[in-house]
Formats: sequence, structure tokens, C-alpha cells
Amino acid sequence: MSEPRERSGIVAERFAVLNRVARAAADRVFGAGFVLLVLASLVFASLRLLPGDPTSLVLGEQAPESERALLRARLGLDAPLSTQYVKFVAGLATLDLGDSLSRPGVPAFAEVGRALGPTSALAAVAVALGAVGGIAVALLATGPWLARRREWVHRAILAVAATPLVAVAPAVTFLVAVKYRIVPLPGDPESGALGLLFASALLATPLGAQVARIARAALLDQRHAKYLEVARAKGASEFRVFVVHALPVASGPIAVVVASQLGALLGGAVVLERLFERPGLGTLMLNAYASRDIPVLEAAVVAAGGLFILAQAGAAAATAIVDPRGQTT
Amino acid sequence: MIDAARRSLRPRRRAVLAVVPVAVVLVGALIVATFGHRSPTRLTLELSWAPPSAARPLGSGEAGVDLLGLVSHATVRALVLAMAVATVGFAVGTPLGIVAALRGGALERWTLRASDLVQSFPTFLLALAVLSAVRAPSRFHIGVVFSIGAWAPFARMALVQARAISGAAFVEAARALGAAEGRVVFGHVLPNVLGPVAVQIGTAAAGVVLGETALGFVGLGPPDGVSLGALLEQGTFGMLRAPHVLLTGSLAVIVVSGSLQLASEGVRAWATREG
Repeated sequence: MSEPRERSGIVAERFAVLNRVARAAADRVFGAGFVLLVLASLVFASLRLLPGDPTSLVLGEQAPESERALLRARLGLDAPLSTQYVKFVAGLATLDLGDSLSRPGVPAFAEVGRALGPTSALAAVAVALGAVGGIAVALLATGPWLARRREWVHRAILAVAATPLVAVAPAVTFLVAVKYRIVPLPGDPESGALGLLFASALLATPLGAQVARIARAALLDQRHAKYLEVARAKGASEFRVFVVHALPVASGPIAVVVASQLGALLGGAVVLERLFERPGLGTLMLNAYASRDIPVLEAAVVAAGGLFILAQAGAAAATAIVDPRGQTT
Repeated sequence: MIDAARRSLRPRRRAVLAVVPVAVVLVGALIVATFGHRSPTRLTLELSWAPPSAARPLGSGEAGVDLLGLVSHATVRALVLAMAVATVGFAVGTPLGIVAALRGGALERWTLRASDLVQSFPTFLLALAVLSAVRAPSRFHIGVVFSIGAWAPFARMALVQARAISGAAFVEAARALGAAEGRVVFGHVLPNVLGPVAVQIGTAAAGVVLGETALGFVGLGPPDGVSLGALLEQGTFGMLRAPHVLLTGSLAVIVVSGSLQLASEGVRAWATREG
């Protein structure tokens, strides 16, 4: 008698859960789009609303008025602001912000697309290296292999995490790549995989320290859990206990850190790209900034911001999948 | 009881000791910058990339700039900028966090969310977006860029802290005794929130020093070239001819940001033990 009612209750509950998940997802997409629009509008506004003539930024103070008028017309700066903004947003939606100023005929977003490859390679290899290295160090810092010396590993992790990459990377490059030539300079087009590996390893060091900190804390939480005792009692080796049993349970926070690192890196590998004079998104933005290539600058900032937000959403999704308890929205 | 007093004294002494390095760095740099007669911008071309000597203990950099003068001025400016930005962040973020915690609801949710986003957003992108409007960014512009995001960690910290305290027994007791809301906020919540939040100033300042260095390194620094980032860039450019420039730059950045971090760690240990 009560069974059908109970079942319908369960179905309703499921629908409620689905509804909540869908609403949270919609919320997130809406939020991401909103943030991206704010960032894009900031670029738009700072070029047009703040004092200073953008054409004199491009052409120099002494440029004749006729040339300025020409450039203004080309960039659409002579139209009313509202028209410009509508055009700008439409351009964002269709990925068409006009052609590059310094390389006429090449669409701004095509430039961005070309720069994306090297930066993605650098960021992906660095994050992968950092994740693997960080987890390995965290295992050393929690497992039984080093006994008392585990504390040393922990201190080393904290020290590396506190060391600023921008200060250390040039010095390490000087020693390893210039003075003793153990690895090729990553800026050299012929440096190939080894150069990429070296640049990524530099970038991966602080990332790895961060992963190691989080992973160590997560593994310490598990260390005295009952299920590990059971595994030990069944005769599993310590390696098996930690890697096969404890690590997957501790993987939630680790996944979140790694995903958020990827996002920050896609927009922020600038220092290393500048150091090695490697092509990439950071180099493109700096060059566009230096030469006031407004369409490319707009496109690159928006693209980098979009990638960042995408990776953030990925991190949030990873959290939700690994640990559904944390849903607050 | 004496034992307890002694134990509570120890962390305080440790906190004071932890502040010493950053104080030494700041005072030392100030003394050299004020009384050293070393201009950070005067160029002596014949001394370009010259190694350390008696007259110039740290040697010379690009176009013969005196490195000791450059380092001291850049350090003072970096520390002043960092403290200014951190103070702005503290002054804006703390009230926001407290109000959000006491009001609750949508305001609280949005504050948390916005501060999460701002905290993780790459400063470089924001800097490009804002600085693209000026021909040569001054130190003031750079300060503005960092201030845009500086409130976030303070707001988050104040929010969490105020939420915890507004549920504490002594605050409930004050409310039950009929204390006015203003008295509860200013007499009970605020004093207990300020300490742990103020500790955040050191961490934020260290972050600004590194951020400013990174911006200067990639060429988004002040045009006079007096910044730690510009020094590092010089060192990278001339690493073959004059490794001492790169060494000076790297060490200066590590010492300045490291001493700030040390100070904030020490003060944090003391503040959290007392609280």
C-alpha cells in the first residue's frame, strides 16, 4: 500500500537533486560568462575611457592628425561609445575583434590561437610534472620509509613553496643552461623536447611544492585509518598500502589544486616565456602591449581570462565529483 | 602560574624576533638610500657591468648604474608599495567581511565568491587590462592594480572570523543583556576580529613584493627602472658578462620577500596562540 507512494517520493527526491545540480551548473556558467564580460569590459574601458588618446599611444605623440583620424576610423574609435561597445561584445561572441595592427591582414584571434600551442604545452607539462613530483614527495613525507627524516622532507617542501620563482629561475638558468650547458636554452628554437622539459621543470618546482603540501596533509588524514590496517593485516607492502589504498582516497584535494594551477598557468607563464624568449600567450600579450596592438591585446587578455575561468570551473567540477558533500549552491 | 606566564611570553618574544629581519632590511635600505649618496638612476657608462669594487660594494649594472644604490632604493620603494597596498586591502576588506558575516544571506555568499575569484585571478592579466591605458605605468598605477584585488584575503578572513565570533557565547550573552547592535559590533566582534585579520598584512605585502617584481621583470615596471624586477631583468640580460648583477637581484628579491613572510609567520603563530 505504502510502496508506490514511497517510490514516487524517491523519484521526486531524485528530480530535486537533478534540479539542484542543473541550477548550480547554470549558475556557474552564468557566473563565468559574467566574470569574462567584466574583464573584457575593463580592457575596453581602460583603452577608451581613461584620459589619453589611444591613437597617440599607437602612433606616438608627434603623429599628424590625418594619420590619427585614419587609425581612429580603422579601430572604430570615431563611433559613439555605445555603438563601439555593442560591436566589441558582438566581436567577442563571434571571436572576431578585427585584424592585428602590427601584422595587417592577420585576425587578432588567429594570433592568439597560434600563441596558445606553446603556452599550453609548457603549462600542461609543468602541471603534470608538478603533480607527479609533488605526490611522490608527499608519499615520502608520510610513508614509513624515511622514519624520522620525514620532518626534513616537510621542511624542504615549505622552503621550496616559499621560494619565489621569479628570483630563482634566472639564476638556475644561468647555472644550468648557460654556464655549464647541461640543458639547452629553452628559448632556442632547436632546443626541442629537452628545452621544453627544462622550462617546465622550473615552472613545476613551486607547483610541486604546493601539491606536496596539500597531498601530505590529505595523506596524514588517512594514515591511521582502519582500512589501511586491514590492508596491512592482509600482508600488503607499505608501498601498496600507501599508493593503492591511501592515495586514491586522498586524491580529492590534490585534484582541486592541480586543476586550479592549470588555470593560473595558462594566463601566467609570462615570466618564464619572457626569461627564455619563448613564443606563447604571455609573449604575445607583452608584445601587443609594447606596440599597442589593441585588437590583439583585447583578444589575448579575454582568451587568457576565459581559459583561467574554464580551468576554475573544471576544478570546481572535480571537487563536486570527488566529494559531493561540499555542494553549497 | 609562573610557568604559564613564561610559556605565554615565549611566543611573543619569538614574534618580535621574527619581525627583526624585515626591520633590518627596511632600516638598512633606508639608511643607504638616504645617506649613501648613491643615485639609483645616475649612469656611468665607463663602469658598465663592472664587478664589485671598494667604491661600489655590489658592483655596477647596465650602463654603469650603482647596484647598491639601485638595490637600496628599489627595496625601500617595494616595501612602501607593499605596505600601502596591504593597508588599503585591510581597510577595505575587513569592514566588508564583518558586514557580510553579520548580514549573512546573499551578501555573504557573494562576498565569499567574489573574494575566491579575485584571490585566484592572475594579477598579470588585470595589470595588462588596466595598464594598457597608460603609456608608461608609474608606481601609483601599479599600486592601483594590486589594490583592486588586495581586499579579498582580508574580507574572507574577517568574514570567517566574524561568523565564528558572532556565534560565541559571550556575544550571545551581550545580546541577551540587551546590548545595542552597535555596541555588540564595536565592543565585542571588532576587537576579536582585528588581530587575526591584521596578521594577514604581512602575507599580503610579501605577495605584492613578488607581484611587483614579476611585473617589473616582464617590463611592466616604473619607467625609471628603479625596481627589483627591473634589476632582475638587467641581470638576466647581462648574465654572461656580469653574473654578479643577476646574483644581487635574485638575493635581494629572496631576502625582501622572505623576511616579510618570516615576520607574518612569527606574528601569526603568536596571534593564533593567544586567540
